[in-house]
Amino acid sequence: MTKYLKSYDIKYALIETCLLLALCSTLFALGGFFAVHSINQSQMEELTDFSTELKEQYQEHGLDWILDDLELDERPIWGRAESLERLDEHDNLFKVVQSNNLLLGSELEFDADNVAKWQLLSFDSERQFELLTIRIELDAEVTVIILQPKSYESAFVTGVVWQLYVYFSFIFSGCILGIVLSRRYRKQKWIASTKKVLSEIAKSPDSTRLPISRKCPINNDIVNSINTMLDDITELHGTMKTMSVGIAHDLKTPLSRVANRLQSMRHDISEPSLIETHLNHASNDLNSVISTFNNLVRLNSIESGQHKDKFVKLNLSELIDDLALSYEPVFEDSGRKLELSTVSDVYCVGEADLLSQLICNLLENALEYSDVGAHVWVRLQSHTESALLQIGDDGPGISPAAQPHVFERFYRADISRAKPGNGLGLSIVKAICQVHGATLTLLPNQKGAVFNIEVPISGQ
Amino acid sequence: MKVLIVEDDLDTAEFIKRGLEQHGEVVHHVATAQQGMLLVSSNEFDVVIFDRLLPNMDGIDAVRILRSSNVTTPIIMLTALSETSDRVSGLDAGADDYLVKPFDFSELYARLKALTRRTPLKQEALCLCVGDLTLERTARRVTRAGLTLELNQKEYQILEYLMLNPGQLVTKTMLLEKVWGFNFDPKTSLVQTHVSRLRNKVDKPFSIELIKTIRGCGYIISDHD
Repeated sequence: MTKYLKSYDIKYALIETCLLLALCSTLFALGGFFAVHSINQSQMEELTDFSTELKEQYQEHGLDWILDDLELDERPIWGRAESLERLDEHDNLFKVVQSNNLLLGSELEFDADNVAKWQLLSFDSERQFELLTIRIELDAEVTVIILQPKSYESAFVTGVVWQLYVYFSFIFSGCILGIVLSRRYRKQKWIASTKKVLSEIAKSPDSTRLPISRKCPINNDIVNSINTMLDDITELHGTMKTMSVGIAHDLKTPLSRVANRLQSMRHDISEPSLIETHLNHASNDLNSVISTFNNLVRLNSIESGQHKDKFVKLNLSELIDDLALSYEPVFEDSGRKLELSTVSDVYCVGEADLLSQLICNLLENALEYSDVGAHVWVRLQSHTESALLQIGDDGPGISPAAQPHVFERFYRADISRAKPGNGLGLSIVKAICQVHGATLTLLPNQKGAVFNIEVPISGQ
Repeated sequence: MKVLIVEDDLDTAEFIKRGLEQHGEVVHHVATAQQGMLLVSSNEFDVVIFDRLLPNMDGIDAVRILRSSNVTTPIIMLTALSETSDRVSGLDAGADDYLVKPFDFSELYARLKALTRRTPLKQEALCLCVGDLTLERTARRVTRAGLTLELNQKEYQILEYLMLNPGQLVTKTMLLEKVWGFNFDPKTSLVQTHVSRLRNKVDKPFSIELIKTIRGCGYIISDHD
């Protein structure tokens, strides 16, 4: 326990406990006060009702009838000692006075108001009684004065409240302290274990993830967010790796070839015809490096969304028809067939230059990777909310293992990287789709590579 | 042709200067935007090459100021920034063309030639002629030696652009920009395919070849060798 709890944890736990205890006691005391108060109030109302009833019965039947009814026909007189004893035993005390003479009741000296009222009275120097008092004037001569001690209920409630108050103060503070400390302990333990897992993940991002805890469900939201974030970071990490391999290959290879050419030029410096060949090759290699850089810059700029300012409503059908017409002879010359079927006047919101590149890159891809003699098609359909563009070929397609990676930067299905290109074409296609709010899917289980692009008609 | 180069990178400036001087052009080089603007205002240059990123000033602002003070000298901007939006903002500011570094000298020279040749008269000419080849712009009709040639839209646009710059090199990139409106480079032989089809129609049936390929650079239309 001490491993996870520091002295300040205990200090804060104590402070927290005291505050909670103070809050609970205040609530408890308030509850008790209101309970007692309402019991006293109802006792007062009862006495008032009694006084009214008494007056009515006096007028109707006279004093003797009342005394009979209350079984007081013996007309008892209580002396001082007996009166105090009655009060001690929570019995009522009263006196009936006729023309200043005591008819019956207590000999003690006391008086009261005409309305029921709680008073503190003392009949000797030692004790005080909290009593409900009332003075009932039955007629000009006969007066009844009643003293009523607190009811058993009220006394009981007051007593219980006080007792509970004392006992619970101890039990409660113990419990609260326990709960607060155990919560702090669990929290610190969770933080410590989380730290440990995170440091493991820092060493190897794919190794493990934060565990979901049944004991601390509050933390699970955080755990889930952190795990999602970690997955994203791991994916980025993977992309970075692919990118470094890509950069190493696509940039380093042509650069080393240029370096070799320069050495050869030094060697062949006296033979102009050879120099020319070396120059051409070096220049081609440098051009491929520059083109890779240009594509990277373009990809980043598309992803940054800066093109969105220039988005306009444009006729997608015309754009596609125009591009397909341009590409038809290119496909024909390469021994493939480009088939076009578009619905006219399909509009979308976007930038013509980007959408052209999207289609060009997919067509280039088909030209590069489909078999000679392949059928390549461009189809455009109109749906209520979106336009569906499909660009596909009939073989040989992308291997299932490579399919999840084709949109990654510098990814190429052929490990040897023998074919020209820099593995950025489809990444650019993906970025253009994202910036247009379009969904891009590589259809599974097809004979060739078939890409579906769903562009929202109204923009995003 | 008198050319002003405003470029702070001495290597680039020297590279352009040497190339232009070899073609017999008169070249003047300054390294700051302020000096450049002063010289351009004198109106004694046929064309200005303005670098985009200069010390103390963005080339775009310099061009904007020049255009607002009614300087009409053609300006081509050079930049390391390759984005379409940069290109658009350069052209919006009043530059006539925009070229991304690094570039082939032939590409720059072709563009300079296109800028200086393109007088208003030529731009609006209704009929373009090279040798026995005639292009009527209103009727969109192309004839050679009296025979009408059937060209599709792209072929017509390519031929029109070549004939607007007769005897001058037109690069692949220039055609992509002017004919297709692309600001990116599709890797394939899009331009080559269309030019080759155009040549099949324009040149193949005739004895003299008008459209010539300059390997690795572009095309020239001309009726003499």
